[in-house]
Amino acid sequence: MFLSRAAGYASGATRVELMVDLNLLLHGFGTVLFGYNLIALVLGSFFGIIIGAIPGLTATMGIALLVPFTFGMTPITGIVMLLGIYTGAIYGGGIASILIKTPGTPAAAATVFDGYPMAQKGLAGKAIGIATVSSGVGGMFTAICLAFFAPILARFALRFSAPEYFALACFGLSVTITLSGRSPVKGFISGTLGLLISMVGLDPMGGFQRFTFGFAQLTGGLSFVPMLIGLFALSEGFRQVEVILTAPRVNAVLKDIVPKLKDLKACAGAYLRACPIGLIVGITPAIGADTSAFLSYAETKRASKHPEKFGTGVPEGVAAAQCGENASTGGDVLPMITLGIPGDAATAVLMGALTIHNLQPGPMLFLNHPQVVHQIFAGMIAANAVFVILGLSFARFFAQVINIERKYLVPLIFICCLVGSYAINNVMYDLVTCAIFGFIGYLMLRYDYPVAPMVLAQILGSMMESNFRRSLVMSRGDPTIFLTRPITVVILALAAFTTIMAIRRQRQALKMEEELARQTAEVR
Amino acid sequence: MKKVDIIAALLLLPVCGYVFYEASSWPMLPDLGNPGWIPRGVAACLLVAALIMLARALRGRALTLPSRLEGADRDRVLWVAALTGGYMVVMNYLGFIASTIPYLAGFGSALGERRWGRLAFFSVVVPVAIYLLFDAALNVPLPRGWLR
Repeated sequence: MFLSRAAGYASGATRVELMVDLNLLLHGFGTVLFGYNLIALVLGSFFGIIIGAIPGLTATMGIALLVPFTFGMTPITGIVMLLGIYTGAIYGGGIASILIKTPGTPAAAATVFDGYPMAQKGLAGKAIGIATVSSGVGGMFTAICLAFFAPILARFALRFSAPEYFALACFGLSVTITLSGRSPVKGFISGTLGLLISMVGLDPMGGFQRFTFGFAQLTGGLSFVPMLIGLFALSEGFRQVEVILTAPRVNAVLKDIVPKLKDLKACAGAYLRACPIGLIVGITPAIGADTSAFLSYAETKRASKHPEKFGTGVPEGVAAAQCGENASTGGDVLPMITLGIPGDAATAVLMGALTIHNLQPGPMLFLNHPQVVHQIFAGMIAANAVFVILGLSFARFFAQVINIERKYLVPLIFICCLVGSYAINNVMYDLVTCAIFGFIGYLMLRYDYPVAPMVLAQILGSMMESNFRRSLVMSRGDPTIFLTRPITVVILALAAFTTIMAIRRQRQALKMEEELARQTAEVR
Repeated sequence: MKKVDIIAALLLLPVCGYVFYEASSWPMLPDLGNPGWIPRGVAACLLVAALIMLARALRGRALTLPSRLEGADRDRVLWVAALTGGYMVVMNYLGFIASTIPYLAGFGSALGERRWGRLAFFSVVVPVAIYLLFDAALNVPLPRGWLR
């Protein structure tokens, strides 16, 4: 039996074995690919592809919408369903990119470059087939990497105590805030508001009430999942009310959907580049599938013998973008499951879903629920295989989904958001929370404030504050504790470095924008 | 969108003030650190960001891209927001199905649907299907109102 071991230390001197056991992984496959779990996985994947294929709806929105449907399920059934949605939606975005030149999800923007020209040449079916298999290759690679790297990272994280977690939260916050959106100031405002929202409720150490305005419901803090549904799903619904009333029509005839082996062999170079790029980009907080897809595309084009052909409809371009896109999914999940730090907005919602099912992501999850962790790994790998099968089998159906009328889709989104929020605790308070944050999220989207930092800051904020205070208790009030522990110092230095670099980069970008505007004005 | 940035910054300033005010009223806990440090630090960061945005807007370098919401688009969003607010109020009294039918019908017509038969069918089938899905299949009860 192949066995790789990850050993760690927990609660001081106790040595704990963390087993990455292929038997456990195989057992995980047995669980995931059986009965209700398999049905949930297929349904989740199917729904995810639909969500991804419809322009304007995102993977994050899909997960947020479906979280309430998992309440009545066992934790693993619910989680594999959400993993199916996540991976399926990331892939599904490419379908709209190819057929109507509009990315189904922001992550699929790079697929437009060569996917749409292929469709114009009458090769829409071939493009979708290559996109499907390429997404599967990227997703599968990253899911396998997740299964093998996560326990190692979790073992390392078991050495962390309060100061390291504080530093980690600071790092996550700095990256999230500075890399999100067009303006770091707006990302910063969104993040700091999220931090303040995370402080509503009881003080983590003293137990007194903070920012509750005398409302008993706020004592436990604002309801996280209704807020997520509001910020990520309902806000998009409001935006759809404003902007999209007519769905584009897809008239392309899809044929030769299942790609030939020689076509896939031609894309092997793209896979070799896109897979590691996707994994590394995914692990980096706040940047995800969209960056990964663009980087993979650019790198494949750079390395190509015929870079001039890119953009005219070459299969390698579609393969690189789609492979890079899905290769980021495992990387996004990695810090979430091992450290409790979500890599992006979608994994923040996944983290919320895990918490609802009483599974707190972080290194202790590997100790307390090793079976569940391996089932998640198996679910992630299986989800990538399932969307490939569904994508190739129902490509014509998914293409038609793009035609769905917004006049019916948007009200349905609203109802799912509101009912889902209500269903969490069967209280109107949650429904009101969802509606209020839905409208706030809509205003944020409208006026260029990124929503993701607000949500990620809420997760990281409570982690940062409680660990900051615990650290001070450990050191009896001496703040130099943050400067005397090597790992803490390194992480804090990284946080500072990332922030400075991001601000410099943004300032340069703004200067370039201003210069461009000035030149344009001069030309006029 | 100078105006939007100025309004946003001016809205954030009292938020920062309130955080400072409330944090100063919290009890000091021996050996547990000052509970107000982090909230005050966060509020200070928010204050700086709001002031930067305000200063940029006043100097004519707004951060928000110009895009006005006007006319029919604005009316539609406001109508849907009002409809949703009303729906939340009546749902607890009328129950899920009875309140969702007129909500969906109103929503659809706000989005310009004029095929009334189709809209009526949608407005009736969706609430019943969702109710059955949550109540019967997922075991998550929804407000019954009159059906109770």
